[in-house]
Amino acid sequence: MVTKGKIAVVASSLCKEYQVGGHTVTALKDVNLEVAEGEFVCIYGPSGAGKTTLLNIFGGLDKPTSGKIVVLGHDLMSYDEEFLATFRSSYIGFVFQSYNLISTLTAIENVAFPAEIAGISGREARQKAEKLLKRVGLSHRINHFPSQLSGGEQQRVAFARALVNNPLLVLVDEPTGNLDLETGLEVVKVLEKLKSKKYTVIVSTHDDRIVQLADRTMRLQNGSMRSK
Amino acid sequence: MSSLAFPMKDLIRRKFQTTLTIVGLTICVATTIFLVQFGNTIGFEIFLVAEGRLTTGFSYIFTIFIILVSFLDFLAGLLITSFLVSMAMSQRVQDIGIMKATGCLTNIVFGYFAVELFIMILSSCFLGTVFGVFMYYASINALNAFGFSMTDTSLNLWAIFFIFLAFMIAPNLLGGRIVARWIKVKSTDALSPSFFLVMASTGKGFISSRLGTELKMALRSLIRRKSVTVYSTLCLTAVLMLTTLTLAGGTIANQTTQNYVHRAIGKDIIAVGHRNMTTQYSKLLSQFFNPQQMQQFNYSDSRLLISESNISKLRSITGVIKIDSRFLVETTAYELPGYVIVDPGPPPKYARIGRYRSSQTLVVGIDPESALNEWLIDGRVLNETDSYSVVIGDSLASKIFDEPLAQRMILYEKNFTIVGVCLDTLNRGNVVYVPINIMSELVQQSGCNLFFLKIDPSKRVEVLSKINATGLEFLELNDILNEHIIFLDKIWSLIMFLPLLSLATAALCLVAYMMLLIAGQKRDFGIIRALGAKPKTVIKIVLMEILIVLAISALIGIFGGLLIALEFLIPDPIFSLNAFLSVAGWLVSTLIFLGLASLYPALKIVKEPILKAIYYP
Repeated sequence: MVTKGKIAVVASSLCKEYQVGGHTVTALKDVNLEVAEGEFVCIYGPSGAGKTTLLNIFGGLDKPTSGKIVVLGHDLMSYDEEFLATFRSSYIGFVFQSYNLISTLTAIENVAFPAEIAGISGREARQKAEKLLKRVGLSHRINHFPSQLSGGEQQRVAFARALVNNPLLVLVDEPTGNLDLETGLEVVKVLEKLKSKKYTVIVSTHDDRIVQLADRTMRLQNGSMRSK
Repeated sequence: MSSLAFPMKDLIRRKFQTTLTIVGLTICVATTIFLVQFGNTIGFEIFLVAEGRLTTGFSYIFTIFIILVSFLDFLAGLLITSFLVSMAMSQRVQDIGIMKATGCLTNIVFGYFAVELFIMILSSCFLGTVFGVFMYYASINALNAFGFSMTDTSLNLWAIFFIFLAFMIAPNLLGGRIVARWIKVKSTDALSPSFFLVMASTGKGFISSRLGTELKMALRSLIRRKSVTVYSTLCLTAVLMLTTLTLAGGTIANQTTQNYVHRAIGKDIIAVGHRNMTTQYSKLLSQFFNPQQMQQFNYSDSRLLISESNISKLRSITGVIKIDSRFLVETTAYELPGYVIVDPGPPPKYARIGRYRSSQTLVVGIDPESALNEWLIDGRVLNETDSYSVVIGDSLASKIFDEPLAQRMILYEKNFTIVGVCLDTLNRGNVVYVPINIMSELVQQSGCNLFFLKIDPSKRVEVLSKINATGLEFLELNDILNEHIIFLDKIWSLIMFLPLLSLATAALCLVAYMMLLIAGQKRDFGIIRALGAKPKTVIKIVLMEILIVLAISALIGIFGGLLIALEFLIPDPIFSLNAFLSVAGWLVSTLIFLGLASLYPALKIVKEPILKAIYYP
């Protein structure tokens, strides 16, 4: 576990623009943010505010048009795709809004996959995956394919997968966005556990139950960030 | 807008698939038309055309090859069409759902896709016919340019019509069935984004969880698109079988037929005789590759006989390894009926076979002990103790006999037993070999009118100068043998060329299949890259998928093709180590080419931004 104090994420003057049909769409405008290790930060805002874009940039999945982004001491702008792949595998746990489980792998295989990529043996990866799935209450569903799992179960598998490599930074994108209230509660419980174990978590959400868990909340609107 | 406008626009919009289907089927139609037309002209027995070049035995080998390749071509055409239709339909499942959800009746949806199918097949058949006829004339011109006169170039329009019709009907029926099956998908299922993502019926029991993650993903992806995977495997199997049969079969048949010619004519043999006789003998041999009207020739002319003194001189030439004296005449051979056992009994039952057919034929008196030929023979060769026994050529055997070895024949009013049928190019197989002493009795003329010398090739120049000294003419059979071999080589090369084009179709099919497969996995590939996997992991998964499909197809296709080539294509096949290595090299290159070609979509996808792959698959 990491301890609070050191800075995990530094975003300075981040801008992100897209070209859509010949028009320039600004997703992020001069975003500045620092997240300390062990901190639980919540980013909220309306749909299309740029939350997912911001998380993608933090996770090294996307690059800003301008500005600087340093995650866990690495200036992500200066690395190529090959390094970023290793970086994501070693340090980042990503929970996508639409779960993004690999459709051809079972729950346990999905969770074990990032560990195998990181070089852990298949057997050890499987043991870790089994343990994590048990922890999120899915020990009875480990051999099911994503299409055989409910939304809440898929989201919990996604959490287990994000945690399998003990990441230094967990990015969670709208974890309850696609779930009903009751199923969303299961996810909130998982996030509570992450907070209690002092993971560095940045979560984008609309859900008040998650906002209440946060050490700090930031509001993103029309691509601009402000503290609440 | 007319009822054709929508399907036409759709076909134009989906350029890649439309082109792929049309190119694949066009090649198959063109190849079949080319093979059948070329076969007809060259004298193969397709459609019972027995008169032409070659001999009946050689025609038979070519005919078997053409029939097998044409059949596989037809099968490949069917499978390529059904595979591409199946692939196209699996990509259109959402469109089907939308059409049905907006109230389109099932038969209208079916009609829409059936018209698309019909347009593609009609275009392919039309283009294939034009291309096939064009290739046929191009090949005939090429052979003429090489010096082999191919004058009868008329098209067998019935054959073309039959092939056109077969290729129109069968792919439409098969493709129509596939369309009908896809149309039955419920609109709710068709519109579901997880329609192809359901893995419930796979994985367990069949794919061990102990397998590596990449292999598991590859296997499950193949199983998820079961019907397209099966079609693509069948399609590749047929094409690889066709390729193997064309390559291995063609090479084996080429080598073997060359060997037959080699054995029938012999190597390092010089025919010696009167100028007219050697010229006539040259014409008789050339009938095989360059048939021409033979002038009346008086073989019994006493001036053609080789004198005893000349025979002694020829025998004494240093460098002559073996001698073979012959007496050639032309006469009419008559068939005598025979009996064959139809039921071994007891008591055995016999059936009478044969009629009293006759044919003008070349009769060659030979000394069985010193004959230089080693024909491929059905039955046996003549031996020293034979008297009224003959060996006949393959064309004569098929022309006037039903079961030559169970029948007899009449020559010069004498009854002869047929002991063997040989594959011989002399007089295009219209030949009878008789012991020379019996021949002398029959024609009441002793001696020989042609003398064969088997020489030591290192002493060729000395031997030829000594023959010149006798005042006799000589004919080097090596020159004619070479012409035979060049002719066979050219024909085999030509008939092997077009079926090999199917390889291009196979590559295109595999690429298309991989594109479909990868399109279905694009999101998964994006996710695994987002999780930290490097592009090589994606390439590895795709490579495994390709290898699985290719390995299954290659195993069945290549072994099937080899089995057909070795077992059914040709008797006494000759497959030298060099030929084996060359065929193996070609096949391995083919597989590597197919594998690399199908990697293209994977290389394309790993260059795409991760987020695009995940969110816009």
